[in-house]
Amino acid sequence: MCRAPTRLSLDGMPITHADQDHRAPALETRGLTKRFGERTAVDAVSLVVPRGVAYGFLGHNGAGKTTLIRMLLGLTRASAGSASVLGLPVPERRAQALARVGAIVEEPSFYPHLTGYDNLKIAAAVRGPQTRARIDGVLERVGLEKRARDRVGTYSLGMRQRLGVARCLLSDPELLILDEPMNGLDPGGMLDVRRMIRALVEDEGRTVFVSSHLLDEVEKTCDVAAIIDGGRVIAQGSIDELVADEAGEFVIECDDAERALAVLADDPAVRALRVEHGALRMNLLAREQAGEVNARLVNAGVVVTRLEPARRSLEDRFLEMTTRLEVAA
Amino acid sequence: MSLDLTVARQMVGADLLRLRKKRGMVALALAVMLVPLVIMTGYDVVKHASDPAHWSPAGGLNNYGRLLDLLGVFMGPVAAILIGAEAGAGDLAAGVFRDNVLTGRSRTALFLSRIPAAVAVTLAVTGIAFVISLAVTFGFAGGLATPSLSVILQSVAWLALANSVVCVIALGLASLTGSRTGTITALIGWELVLSPLVVQASSLGSLRRGLLDAVMLFLKPGPLTGPPVIPMSVAVAVLVTIAWLLVLPALGAWRMRTRDA
Repeated sequence: MCRAPTRLSLDGMPITHADQDHRAPALETRGLTKRFGERTAVDAVSLVVPRGVAYGFLGHNGAGKTTLIRMLLGLTRASAGSASVLGLPVPERRAQALARVGAIVEEPSFYPHLTGYDNLKIAAAVRGPQTRARIDGVLERVGLEKRARDRVGTYSLGMRQRLGVARCLLSDPELLILDEPMNGLDPGGMLDVRRMIRALVEDEGRTVFVSSHLLDEVEKTCDVAAIIDGGRVIAQGSIDELVADEAGEFVIECDDAERALAVLADDPAVRALRVEHGALRMNLLAREQAGEVNARLVNAGVVVTRLEPARRSLEDRFLEMTTRLEVAA
Repeated sequence: MSLDLTVARQMVGADLLRLRKKRGMVALALAVMLVPLVIMTGYDVVKHASDPAHWSPAGGLNNYGRLLDLLGVFMGPVAAILIGAEAGAGDLAAGVFRDNVLTGRSRTALFLSRIPAAVAVTLAVTGIAFVISLAVTFGFAGGLATPSLSVILQSVAWLALANSVVCVIALGLASLTGSRTGTITALIGWELVLSPLVVQASSLGSLRRGLLDAVMLFLKPGPLTGPPVIPMSVAVAVLVTIAWLLVLPALGAWRMRTRDA
């Protein structure tokens, strides 16, 4: 897909080299807080979203995800803290920042009596003169070119989500902010959106910020994630870091799990040991001792077919963290 | 500057597209004007046919005046209200307002682009009804006098003014309240019930000059056929029209700037 050679902000000013500071993170917040009366919806959130990744923003319903997105997009003012989008402070330089951002907050809305094409024509008119030429391309990009002349009222939710992404792409954005893009989609629709997000990142070099409460989808779609709970970010990092097992748990598959259990029962390197679903799970005092344990099993005549660090799902990690917080509270 | 103009033209075109493709609303606006026109004319034709000595033909200058009342004081404004309310609150009703705001485009620009689009649709609908009323005026004139070209041109300008002003007021109120239904109910109630009553309440004296209906009846060209005309100067008529044109749209624009998206 062709990128526009010269970018203009919506007030018609060319976006300068300084504005296009590609070293700046796609999104950055420092102590961002939003209070509604006594209730704190977002509590001193500090995030750094690097460029060129799919970033998952994970949390229960009501955890503060949409409120944070609304502050980032200048739809509501922060009670405290600061934020920048593509290196531009918001809300101070909101118009310039949003000229390079495509966003869907909650579910995408359209005029149901108009066709998908006409809805994009209206969106393109608001975006600026250069965007109209991109309508056919973005419709093709999201796979809606054959239904573009149908009224949006006849579209499925998945098609509306894709049309929403098409509307975001009209302005050739560097950053897409998608709020719960998989909400209400069937498995096929989720797969479509997941593939689309990956292609936007990998093929086109865009940054995609995805908020979701669907842990499995974030794990499958995103490179980096933050977990928000009760308005506070409780963890952030790459998906691998988030799901990594700090306790040094390993999974061993072998020809005789009971025999392996007996061999390792008195091993000083092993902290804990159990058989689960026919595989041996062990916790080591130090992760580096895995090789020695393997050698010991082999020497004892156990045929080891697999020995690897246990990988927990993001869901396990999320539940562990949020449960821990609930207990602490 | 040329970029601004291009964008403005595109935004007006976009609003025009969403309004004219709301076919149910456009058909209703047309029906609101044409159905009473057809009923009035049909009734007059039947009366004249049954007793030509007692009942005059359905066309001619006097009936032209009555049709102007219908199109510029009663049902024309109702059509303008339907269109203005859709223009003012249609994006909120569809949930598209937030997406428009997310583009970073000035909310005032988003509001202003609605006005020419809504007025254009109102004028198109009014134009169709006016052409039909002209056909009735001349087609059923019999031996009666017909309006001169000058009266016709003045009528065109007056109808355009009367219905455009009501359309812009409806647009402003709909943007202010965020409700199409509420705006339509309130303004139709005002236009068809309260305002005609107040215009005729002589105890209110010169206060009635502040009513848009009073101004439009004063400015109406052709024969006097409708409610009483309240005397006023042209300057007062112009000032009252400007005040109506400014107040509600300004409130609508303010609400649009401050509304939580």
